[in-house]
Order: sequence, then C-alpha cells, then structure tokens
Amino acid sequence: MPVEKVGWWSNNIPQLGEQYWDTGWFGLLFTLTFVIFIVFNVSRARKTDLFIRRVAGLNAIEEAVGRATEMGKPVLMVPGLSDPVNAYAVQAINICAHVTRIAAKFSNPIILCAYSASMYTLAQEVIRDTYQSEGVPERYDLDSVRYISDRQFAFAAGVSGLILREQTAATFFLGEFYAESLIFAETANSIGAIQVASSTEATQTPFFIAACDYVLIGDEFYAASAYLTREPVMVGSLVGQDWAKMTAIAFILMGVASQSIFVSSKAKLTEKAFLAAGGNKLSKEQSADFKDKFKAETKTAKEEETKLFNIQKFFKPGPPPEDLDMQREKLPQEPEAAPGAAGANQ
Amino acid sequence: MKPSDFSIWSLDPTKGTVFYHVIFAIVIGFAIFFALMNAPTQVRRPLTWFLTLLSGGVFVVAAYWPKPINFDAKTQKPLNAIESGSVFLADTNNVVGSFTQILAAFMLGLGIFSLLRIHLGKIAKKKTDWGFSIVLLVSMVSMITFGYWDYTTRQANKLVDYDVQSNWKLENMGRDFLFDKLLQQMDAAMFSIIAFFILSAAYRAFRARSVEATILLGTALIVILSLMGIVSAYWDGAVTSLAGDSANKDLILNFKITEISNWLRNTFQTPAITGIRFGIGLGTLSMAIRIWLGLEKGGK
Repeated sequence: MPVEKVGWWSNNIPQLGEQYWDTGWFGLLFTLTFVIFIVFNVSRARKTDLFIRRVAGLNAIEEAVGRATEMGKPVLMVPGLSDPVNAYAVQAINICAHVTRIAAKFSNPIILCAYSASMYTLAQEVIRDTYQSEGVPERYDLDSVRYISDRQFAFAAGVSGLILREQTAATFFLGEFYAESLIFAETANSIGAIQVASSTEATQTPFFIAACDYVLIGDEFYAASAYLTREPVMVGSLVGQDWAKMTAIAFILMGVASQSIFVSSKAKLTEKAFLAAGGNKLSKEQSADFKDKFKAETKTAKEEETKLFNIQKFFKPGPPPEDLDMQREKLPQEPEAAPGAAGANQ
Repeated sequence: MKPSDFSIWSLDPTKGTVFYHVIFAIVIGFAIFFALMNAPTQVRRPLTWFLTLLSGGVFVVAAYWPKPINFDAKTQKPLNAIESGSVFLADTNNVVGSFTQILAAFMLGLGIFSLLRIHLGKIAKKKTDWGFSIVLLVSMVSMITFGYWDYTTRQANKLVDYDVQSNWKLENMGRDFLFDKLLQQMDAAMFSIIAFFILSAAYRAFRARSVEATILLGTALIVILSLMGIVSAYWDGAVTSLAGDSANKDLILNFKITEISNWLRNTFQTPAITGIRFGIGLGTLSMAIRIWLGLEKGGK
C-alpha cells in the first residue's frame, strides 16, 4: 500500500518519527500574545493618552545639541556596528534623525559615522529626508554622513580620530556596540564632549555608564521613538512591551510559587501515603525502601506528565505505514553468503 | 533526495530550463527596481512595505513551520504537504537570505564612493591633515589590488600549496604583508588600548561620591580581590581556620571571599543582566514587528 499523503491539519499528521509542533509552541504562543498586546495598545493609544515615564537620557538630547551650537562645534553620532542593517540600527537611526532635526533647527553641523555600507546608505537617506522635512534642504552637507570602515578597530580608530580632530561638543553613541565602546566614550570624554549613549549589548552598558553623561539602559533605547515623537503607534507598542514584561513577570512568579508549593505538597503527599500504608509500623529498612520507591514513582510520573505537556497531545499519532520495510542496502564489501555455506560449516 | 524535485529555488544547473528562470528573475528584478525608482512616494512606500512583508514573511513562516524530520523511507521524498512546505521554505530561506548579501555588495560600492569623495576633496583643497587622506587612499587601493590578485592566483593554481612560503609570488607576499603583518597587528594594537581606557574609566567610576557609587566601589573591590589568587588564598584560608569545627562552621564558611564574590555575581549581576537582555529582546521584537507590518516610519 503506498504511503498516503495527508493534508494540512489532518488528524493523521504525525507519522513515524515526526514531531510536529513538539518544540517551540510556547514561543509561538508568547509571540502571538505579544503581537496582540501591541496591536491592542496601538488602537488604545489612538483614543487615549498613555503615560510614559521621564527618561533623563532623552531629555538631555536638546541640551547636548544646544551646547554644541553655543560652542560652534559639530555633533557626532554613531548608530552602532550593525552589519547588515537590523532592528537595532533602525532604532539608532530614528534617534539620530531626531538629533539631526534639532541640529537643523539650530543650524549646527553634524557628523554621522557609518560602520557598514548598508548603514551608510540608510543614514544618508534618512538624514537628507530630515533636513527636507525641516524645510532646510540646503543645510544638508553630503559629507556629514561618512562611511568609515567595516573593520571593528579600524572604525574605532577612524571615529576616535574624527572626535579629536573635529573637537565635537556632543556625541551620541546609540545601537550595537562591542569592545570599541570604551574607546569612543573615553576619547570623547577626554575632550569634554557631552555624551548620550546606549548599547544593546548588556556587557558594554557599564563602560558607557562609567564614561558617559547619560546612558539609556536596556529597553529605554527602544522607548526613545515613543518618548520623542509621542506617536500612537510607538507609544502603543511601548505599552505592549510593558504588558509582555508583566506577563513574563507573572510567569516567573507562578513558576516560583508552583515550585515552592509543589515541592512542599509532594513532601506532604509522601508522608500521607507513608502513614496510610502503615509506614509507622514498618521496620527502619522497610520504611526507607518504601520512601525510595515512592520518590522514584513520583519522579517517573512527573517526567511523563512533562512529556505530555505539549500541543502534540491534541494529535493522536497514527500507526506506522504497513508496508514500511526498512532494509539496509548491502555494502560492497559484504558479499552474499554462498548457498549451502551454513550447512558446510556445520 | 534531490531538492530540485520539490523546490523552484534550487534548480538543477545541468538542465537548460534554469537559464529561463534566471532571465525571468533578472527581468522581474529590473522591473521592480525601475518601478521603485520612478514611482511617486505615495506608491513607493506601500510597494516597499509589501516587499518587506513578503520577504520578512518567509523568515517568520520558516521559523514556525515544522521542520522536516524524516522523509519516506522508500522514495526519500517528503511524506506530506507539511514536509513539502518545510523543504520549500528551507530553500526559500537561503535564497531570500542571500538577497541581503547581494544588496550589501552593491552598497559597498556606495561606501567606497563616499570615502573617495571625502578624501579626494580633502586632498584637492589641501585641507588640514590632507596627507593622511593620501595614506588612506593608497592603503585602500593597494589592499584591494593585492587582495584580488592573490585571490585570483590561488583560484587559478589550486594544486599549489600556499602554506609553504617558498611557493609565494609577489601578490601572495604583498597580501600577507598588508593583511597579516600590518592590518591584523594594528587591529590588535587598537584592541590593547582598551586596557588603558578601562583603567581611566574605572578610576572615575569608583570615586565614592554618593551612596550608589560607594556600594559600587565596595562590590567591585570584593570581586577584584576574589580574582587575585594570593588574596583569595589567604582570606579563604583564614576563614576556614576560623570556622574550624565550631557549631557555626557552615555559617562562617559563607564569608570566604570567593563565596561572597560568587553570591554577588550570581544573585545580583546575572539576574540584572538577564533582565536588561530580556527588555532589549522585547524591544527588538516590537521593533521588528513594526518594521514588518509597515508601522515604523523611519526617522519621522
């Protein structure tokens, strides 16, 4: 009988050895819940004003650009070392666009250093658009967005050189930074530039905290768009993120509680069963043996339960195909036994 | 199993039909390119969004679609529609993923153009430090020349063992000098500078100007001391001998410097970093969804 082809969502989907929906279903569920949170809050933000707490690093942007204008020195921006452009880079460019908007108002020169060619192209478009939307396209300098290098330390050397040569008054390091973060921050610190920084790499955040004036920690980096623009889409998705965080915290608390309570109740259960089986009348050896046996049984039952706790339990596995006759192909060095050879040996 | 049996993305190159597909793809590519170039902004935005949704959708579906586990034992073909889908998605994923690399290669040309414009302009106008611009351009041109020359030589003589230096020609020596002997060493030099920057940053961070800074100083000091072999050996030895066989032995042993340091790192540092990473992960996911669904108005 040929193997029957089955369709999507058919009841007999699982075949021998297949594990459809066996892994990652919780991730899918969480992601879907998260998307629902975002979409719901975006629609909520269109109707009502949602609260966002004060973020010091973002309030400092105007102050930093204003200071650079007073000093007549340029503002330097580095939107991270993303290659190719990813979500971090897009967010960093969004904040850089906001900084550029303020700089355009004050007629202050800017320098944006790009690590990758794709970042360079994106930044050039966004910065040009920003000047145009501010009604001052003539102030856009083609050389303000620069491609430096796509080698990490060559880029670090290039940017540090620019900071020292141009004597930048304000620097913004936002995005994906690695070991070079401290080279940038310390160089800018050495010339007294006011610095706003944020790294999506948690290991680099302490370096920025040590050397910069304002640091956006963790998801504050992503809150920037919502905080600066107050657009319902941004604010809604930010609140959606918070809801997802609350959900995660609730799960953590539930996990802690279930572990604590379950362990305690299991101990009580063991004791109850022990007494019910007349454990107090058993000898010392018998009692120890009983306890070990009970523990082993509980463990096995728990493991079985864990295995079953997935979406696959909703699908009953079908029987293996009847004609499945898996025969190993014979290797060349494995000749067929000569007929009658077995008899000859006997 | 031959993937070409199930997928339009990985066709058998020996068959003539593959060229029709290539020509068709080039025509479609140019059509999209010119459509995007000439379309007004009101049309360009939704078109770009649609392409983003389509290509992003491939990755999303591929991530959640069940992965192929086994094929039919006899025919070595997918057993059902789900497995056929997963084979198709796996191939599509590779192709769509390589689009990024192709685009990045085109953009590299723009990056080089930017460098040339800035530095040639600087040399022409003899601006401050224009000599460095000459160094940069000469370095760039020589690295490209020797790199490509070396590559083509190696490709043309695959039987030659280039691990043996006596087989090297001018192009191999040039690339080795520029890349391994100069660039790699300069990279290492820049990296080593970080050690000095860490010292100066740590000096500023560890000044006890506030309660928070003092706590930071105290915890940092404990972790630093615990990593110094001689300090941890003496401290832990003293605590162990103090504990001896007393009734409170277990309690006293907690005051070993390595124990305190581990407690600080496992109880405070790791959860804090995990929390920060979780927040960043959620933010990235939210950003990705906004980009994918066209809700993100970049730079606006």
